[in-house]
Amino acid sequence: MAGTGETSYLVATDVGGTCTDTVIFGTDGVIHIGKALSTPPDFATGVLNSIVSAADPMGLTLEELLGRTHLFIHGSTVVDNAVLTRDGTPTGLLTTQGFEDTLHVTRGAYGRWSGLTEERIKNPVQTDRAPALAPRDAVVGIPERMDCDGAVVLPLDEAAVEQAVRFLVNEKQVGAIAVSFLWSFLNADHERRVRDIINRVAPGAYVTLSSDIAPNLGEYERTSTAVINAYAGQITNDYLTSLQGLLAEKGYDGATMVMQGYGGLLPAAEAADRAVGMIECGPAAGVIGAKFLGDLMGDPDVIAADMGGTTFKVGVIQDGKLEYAREPMVDRFHYLAPKIEVVSIGAGGGSIISVDPRTKVPHVGPRSAGARPGPICYGQGGEEPTLTDVMLLIGYMDPGQFLNGSITLDREKTERIFKEKIADPLGMSTQEAAIGIYRIASAQITDLIREITVERGLDPRDFVLHSFGGSCGMLAAAFGQELSVRRVIIPYTASVNCAFGLVSADVAHEYSVTQNLPATTSAAQINAIFAPMEERARAQLAAEGIEPDRMRMEWSVDLRYSRQVHEVTTDVAADTPLDDAGAARLVDDFEALYERKYGRGSAYREAGIEMTMFRLTARGLMPRPTLPAEEEGSADASAALIGNREIYVETKGGMAPGDIYDFNRLQPGNSLKGPAVIHTPITTIALPDRMTARMDRWRNIVVEFDAD
Amino acid sequence: MSGQDRISASVAVKEGQAVCAACGHDLGPATKPWKDHAHRREIPLAQAGGQAYDTGHEGVLLRHFYCPGCAALLDTETAMAGDPALDDILAARG
Amino acid sequence: MDPMTFSIIRHRLFRIVDEAVITLKHVSGSAITNEGHDLMVSLYRADGTLLMGGVGFLHHLTSAAEACKSIIRRFEGDIHEGDIFLLNDPYTAALHTSDIYLVSPIHHEGRLVAWSACFVHVYDIGAVNPGGFAPQAPDIYTEGFSSPGIRLVAGGEMRQDVLDTILNMVRSPEMVTLDLRSMIACNNVARDRMQSLMTKYGAKEVDGACAELVNQSEDLFRARLRELPDGQWQSRQYLDVNGDTARVNLTMTKKDDRLIFDFSGSDPQSPYSINCTKWASLGGLFAPLFPLLCYDITWNEGVLRPVEMIAPEGSIVNCTRPAPVSVATVGAIQSVNNAACSTIGKMLGASEKYRNQSTAVWHANHFAIFKFGRNQKGGDSIGILTETFAGAGGARSFADGVEIGGEIPNPISRMANVETVEAAFPVRYLFRRRAPDSGGPGEYRGGTGGELALVPHKAPDGGINYVISGKGSRHPMSEGLAGGYPGAPNSYVWVKAPEDGANTPVTAAGGLDAISGTQERVSWGVYPLMGRDALYVRWNGGGGHGDPIVRDPEAVRRDVAAGLVTLQSAGDIYGVALRDGAVDETETMAKRKSIRSARLQQEASE
Repeated sequence: MAGTGETSYLVATDVGGTCTDTVIFGTDGVIHIGKALSTPPDFATGVLNSIVSAADPMGLTLEELLGRTHLFIHGSTVVDNAVLTRDGTPTGLLTTQGFEDTLHVTRGAYGRWSGLTEERIKNPVQTDRAPALAPRDAVVGIPERMDCDGAVVLPLDEAAVEQAVRFLVNEKQVGAIAVSFLWSFLNADHERRVRDIINRVAPGAYVTLSSDIAPNLGEYERTSTAVINAYAGQITNDYLTSLQGLLAEKGYDGATMVMQGYGGLLPAAEAADRAVGMIECGPAAGVIGAKFLGDLMGDPDVIAADMGGTTFKVGVIQDGKLEYAREPMVDRFHYLAPKIEVVSIGAGGGSIISVDPRTKVPHVGPRSAGARPGPICYGQGGEEPTLTDVMLLIGYMDPGQFLNGSITLDREKTERIFKEKIADPLGMSTQEAAIGIYRIASAQITDLIREITVERGLDPRDFVLHSFGGSCGMLAAAFGQELSVRRVIIPYTASVNCAFGLVSADVAHEYSVTQNLPATTSAAQINAIFAPMEERARAQLAAEGIEPDRMRMEWSVDLRYSRQVHEVTTDVAADTPLDDAGAARLVDDFEALYERKYGRGSAYREAGIEMTMFRLTARGLMPRPTLPAEEEGSADASAALIGNREIYVETKGGMAPGDIYDFNRLQPGNSLKGPAVIHTPITTIALPDRMTARMDRWRNIVVEFDAD
Repeated sequence: MSGQDRISASVAVKEGQAVCAACGHDLGPATKPWKDHAHRREIPLAQAGGQAYDTGHEGVLLRHFYCPGCAALLDTETAMAGDPALDDILAARG
Repeated sequence: MDPMTFSIIRHRLFRIVDEAVITLKHVSGSAITNEGHDLMVSLYRADGTLLMGGVGFLHHLTSAAEACKSIIRRFEGDIHEGDIFLLNDPYTAALHTSDIYLVSPIHHEGRLVAWSACFVHVYDIGAVNPGGFAPQAPDIYTEGFSSPGIRLVAGGEMRQDVLDTILNMVRSPEMVTLDLRSMIACNNVARDRMQSLMTKYGAKEVDGACAELVNQSEDLFRARLRELPDGQWQSRQYLDVNGDTARVNLTMTKKDDRLIFDFSGSDPQSPYSINCTKWASLGGLFAPLFPLLCYDITWNEGVLRPVEMIAPEGSIVNCTRPAPVSVATVGAIQSVNNAACSTIGKMLGASEKYRNQSTAVWHANHFAIFKFGRNQKGGDSIGILTETFAGAGGARSFADGVEIGGEIPNPISRMANVETVEAAFPVRYLFRRRAPDSGGPGEYRGGTGGELALVPHKAPDGGINYVISGKGSRHPMSEGLAGGYPGAPNSYVWVKAPEDGANTPVTAAGGLDAISGTQERVSWGVYPLMGRDALYVRWNGGGGHGDPIVRDPEAVRRDVAAGLVTLQSAGDIYGVALRDGAVDETETMAKRKSIRSARLQQEASE
């Protein structure tokens, strides 16, 4: 344990598909960063490697570092990976008799077209559902039935339950059982009794009740969630247990907090039981990181853009608030869980450029060369031109400088293949073709960002754009300008943004009660629904060591117009418990939010308004890290100017001279004008003409557009 | 239309003749209705498909066309008695 | 035009349609629009020809083009920026009165440059039955409000007199107002984005790209047609309504780079509202044509150019005024969908290169069942039974059809959750699941359809009523290919509770026959669902592909284990013998041999 006066550390590690990133905050105010390759399926190894890669430059061994670590925060793609590679526990399902096909029928074509691109949807003959995670012969219908009020219509047949459990475990060899009955979210009694029976008859089986994991209306999505959770439950449990064991072995004796898809942290013991909660926690952390930075810089409206090797992901923060996904999916499976909305397209650094031989139209992606074989210029066997190769051809990447000179880019081979496969078929010069592809990529990304903002009634012109990921910096200023955002920020921590986000998250538990009430319901009645949730929440947070003054209870309610399908989660802005004015304000806020999101005149209020779900987010505030801030000095950036070369400049319609800067030599306050390129150790920032880049006191690069 | 080697998944074309794709049995010229050379059988719907096809109504048939050589089922039509067979023919070459 | 700019503009046009669709769904908020995806949004060129067809109910793409063209003719010289026109007369361009087209001119710097058009199936249109399908309508005059083209919005201002007149004739005018508002918002978004696109790239450039897109589609489609064999393929669809049987006959001819759909020989128009107009038939045949033949080609006017249609006037697929057509979309139009899917499937099956694109017919028979009545909270509920959108996939040449896998004319559809229905209506499901033996047998089996049963539950009036325009309970019309059987027909049964007071078991795991009471088949009209009665619905499977007795016996074993095929059918139709859950190979071989010889025993009947 660190002694007084000795620096202690907070370690945050995020396991992504390709890389495992670590951010270490010392109480001495210094940040340390580490990166290592992820090591599926045994991700723990990569975690340790990543921490070591951060500890090394600090002059500490792993044991020395962990011995002085007071908190470890973790996010991991382990659940996404288990689902994607179909590597979970063989799972069975118990459900209401007569409705055994719910999981497999996926509400009709919904499961057949969901998650597909429009190109594939237009060719239905070639589409299929993804096979369900629980096979149909491991689904057993149980005689029982509840109705829309949670009243029992048919009592639970316990003998049938016992027989079904034995069948699943002994004959079908399942290791996990999901239980999902109709209307169980209103009355969980039958499901709970089934769990008791399973625990008695087959104590080794991993059990998930739909009423626990997703107490929401909609039996298909609820059942699917229970199955996914059961499927990935044991793996998640084992992973977190062994990871903690490994860390303990290496000298760590503190708590482990685990990131959830809704952007909050749970203690490892609880996260272990909520596998679905970890789905896409990485991108969620990325958005949280962007929010933290936005709060720090005084920007409540942020578009967070992350461009990796394969996909381009976008999340939105509006007025400091996060957006949640309405119909979340993992791979091609639907599930219900609060989850930060992140949309994506297949446009990453490794996206393959192709020319349709019939139409001669060029395309970016969706296929990707990934990390292997990767872009041609990386010289690791890639033979197909990628967006990264395009960036090289238009002068944004310096062949000699990549990754601090550790890789020399193969320009000659890139040019040759690009000419043969792209430029010649298009009848253009290599230069013209590369520039054109860049413009297409920029336009496609612009369209994606418009989609996520406009779909929510938001105007990009009100936002700042944060650019993350290895490839984003070369495009961000360009598409940021096309969207007319206020400014573009390439954060100092951009390359490890997800890990950084872990550190800026709070402990957060989500509770909900599904109940249908008219909007005229009294404040007292609403308070009565929240009171038991709050009681549970406070007890939970207290047990996790959170002091009462660091607890925050955030109420929100889902409302809708009675004759329309759209529900809007509305934050309760007034003080709680509510008084009549506060309850009235909730309804007003709902109407304003609905109108903003769905359009003016889109509400049919005469049919009445109803409340359908009551949600409590119970936060345990974590100490916010402080980003070291420096004095902003002179604007003169000439000390960082290392050269000049031809780069693509849009206003000149082609290649033109641009200044080249070394990020490591820039100082806070430095300002430089485009056209220019700034090389950082991990990425490159392209600064178009008529734009200015400035390094702020936190060493972020802030790009502003010249007034027209 | 050159080298056209089938009329459907079950009826192939060989040297201008329609033939059973399973056994090669000749079914006449590919430019004429091959069903004229197939063995035809009409079965009331309820009997042909089992209980799921028992609508309680009369008069609807499943009309099957088999290869006279190997009895492969080449085509099935829903028909009412007396309605003509559906013709699938290739155009003449040239 | 430089390929990069072309690529960007093309991508933008897709996104414009997408954004407009999102707006439509958002502002409407209705179940039929959001769950059933019963909508369409497309862009048209200045002359009204289709520029970019969106993914919605596909048979509307071409009829909305005709709507644009007829508005151009009717209002020539009097079309102004900010106008929005309404058209829903089936004898002018619409498919039936419930599917209202809102058609908006798009101007750029004062010049008319394009059109956007959309439709939703509105909540009600004032026909003799509520909900828009009117099985009791004897003619078009009883099918509600109908206009051959009227200006609803003038220069951005709603024409209140027009709106009030329409609303005066419909049930639930507030819901219809919302439908109209959503379409107005949708068209406004399309107009704004199109204007921005033209401002950014230049109107001439964008129009040039549009022209190129259309020519490109034509070239690509003609090239594909030339790769397909010349020939003639036929299909036939039966429609039964109230005991009458009508036929739609189709002969499709492909010659060189032309495709002709000839509906000669189809029956004369019916006294019942299953008829459709010629615009509807044209739209109906493109619904399978786009995804089966043009899956990788932009859906626009270029695809239309190589195609001709012959539909005799006064026939059921080209009816004359005042024949009733309110049930067209699940009547004659669906028959056209199916017939075209079948002939196109046959043509593709004759091509070595494209045989994997061929498919047996999917979900041939919609059932339009609108439930209405007082719900358990005391309010009024009216809504379609969304299981009609659940569908069933036809078998492919390489795989089974997808169980309850949707339909071809509506690529993005789904049904509501049981709980959603039970929350909004005073009913309870006894079961909802895949229907055994409903998938058309074949080497590759058609996807199963589904079955459900509803009983009244906590209904203040004792139950509800429903309007049913149910197709396909007499003739199975999801035709198979290359020997495959059609999917099983639909079944609509009113189970009248026994007088002795016996109750229906709660879950009736045994299916229809386990529900106590006398069964009466229904298919057309208005019926009660009251007391202890039940409504049973089973919908068709998809057609099969190939000969059932060559289906892999292991696949049949799996089908039986999964409850998709009964043991009886496994033996009788597929010739597979199972013993203790495993395939008995010797007996299977013997069974199949005996089926073969039985096939040839009967006299050939010609």
